[in-house]
Amino acid sequence: MANYSTSQFKNGLKLMLGGNPCSIISNEIRKPGKGQASNRVKLKDLITGKTLEKTFKSGESVEGADVMELDLQYLYNDGSQWNFMDPDSFEQYAIDDSAMDDAKGYLVEQDMCVVTLWNDNPISVTPPNHVMLEVVDTDPGLKGDTAGTGGKPAMMNTGVVVQVPLFISIGEKVKVDTRTNEYAGRT
Amino acid sequence: MNMRDALKKYGCFLANIRQFFSERAVVEVCTPQLLDYPVTDVYIDSIALQVNKDIGLKSKYLHTSPELEMKKRLAQGSGDIYQICQVFRDNEQGIQNFNEFTMLEYYRLGFDIHQLMDDMTDLLKSLGFTRPAMQLSYAQAFSEFANIDILKTDFDGLKKIATAHDLCPDFEWIEDLQILLFTALCEPKLEKIPLCFIYDYPASQSALAKVQGQVASRFEMYMYGDEVANGYDELQDAQDYQKCFEYEINKRLVLGKTPVAIDKDFLSNLQNSLPQCSGVAIGLERLLSNLLK
Repeated sequence: MANYSTSQFKNGLKLMLGGNPCSIISNEIRKPGKGQASNRVKLKDLITGKTLEKTFKSGESVEGADVMELDLQYLYNDGSQWNFMDPDSFEQYAIDDSAMDDAKGYLVEQDMCVVTLWNDNPISVTPPNHVMLEVVDTDPGLKGDTAGTGGKPAMMNTGVVVQVPLFISIGEKVKVDTRTNEYAGRT
Repeated sequence: MNMRDALKKYGCFLANIRQFFSERAVVEVCTPQLLDYPVTDVYIDSIALQVNKDIGLKSKYLHTSPELEMKKRLAQGSGDIYQICQVFRDNEQGIQNFNEFTMLEYYRLGFDIHQLMDDMTDLLKSLGFTRPAMQLSYAQAFSEFANIDILKTDFDGLKKIATAHDLCPDFEWIEDLQILLFTALCEPKLEKIPLCFIYDYPASQSALAKVQGQVASRFEMYMYGDEVANGYDELQDAQDYQKCFEYEINKRLVLGKTPVAIDKDFLSNLQNSLPQCSGVAIGLERLLSNLLK
């Protein structure tokens, strides 16, 4: 994999740090009045999900990470693995539970997800920002109540629990923001 | 804020600065901005211009700071002087660096750096900044923020420390590694401090400041972690300046940077040497943005 110099740093660039692939979140160049510039970089470790900060000497070069992002369609879970398909090539990918993290709670069959591959192995799955999930369990609803007066927990068909308005009842489909795990409406 | 109000406010800021100097009998000067020689600083590049192409092509350089031109005035007996001007630098990058910015530079005869730091604190007070001023020596900052004895640790020792902190240890000059360590380990701690002077830099970073033993009589002023000003107890003799310029020129050569020539006119102006004085350069946009925080 190619090396990248600090002058090529930009948000989203994938680098190898501490043996893990990392993605640049922000890159701030610090230039002292009397000295050499350096880059203060924030990165996300794509394996652990942790954010780290590192200062690079200007001109330092760092090994790139062979990370690819693919738009794949979620097909089904076969009990041990999660199966996706590239809708153009029809190539299928079976992804282990360990790479799924929170994405599990938002997977709806046929939805397009972003799957991140490192050295051709899937390391993370990002569901769409909004998904339609079905409420499978919640306290009985209160008719006439409107959103914004608190709420109640509701279990979705994917297993995730979302705070919903009181008027939502079992069997309804609701829109959920997958980034915040928040209720985002009914249509 | 509309354009008119913003301009009025900036005008007021400049007028207050001029008032401060007027009260102290520091005289405003204007020096040439288009120079015959580029700056020798290793990590500052002059913007070169080709002029007189119809009558005999010549290279000129926009000043990167008014330092040498002001020092010529000082050597000629100007007394205390200040200047507010635009300065220009090539190859600047980053969210805080621009090819053009406004500099306030001033020199006080007979001042050491401690008097100058106190004077700057008064200047900030006169501009409405009332937060307490902190002063830390470079060695104290390293000891307090990073638990490193910066003056006693040699080049190899610093390389080991860099490696231990997951920082690049590949440096040719100790001063560059010291600066990286400061940027990585000390500057983040300064972000919470409204006003902090760091003084007595290692002799390896003396630049154009006097050296006393292990340290150079130099300071930098940080506001909320931004480096806003850089001051020296100024070198006085032409041969000391020549030595510094030659060191920098050689370093530029090794680094493969654009070669530069020494301003001989400046050195000949210093035959009677500079009066003892301390001077400081302040980035006005950075100062203003931190005054408004």
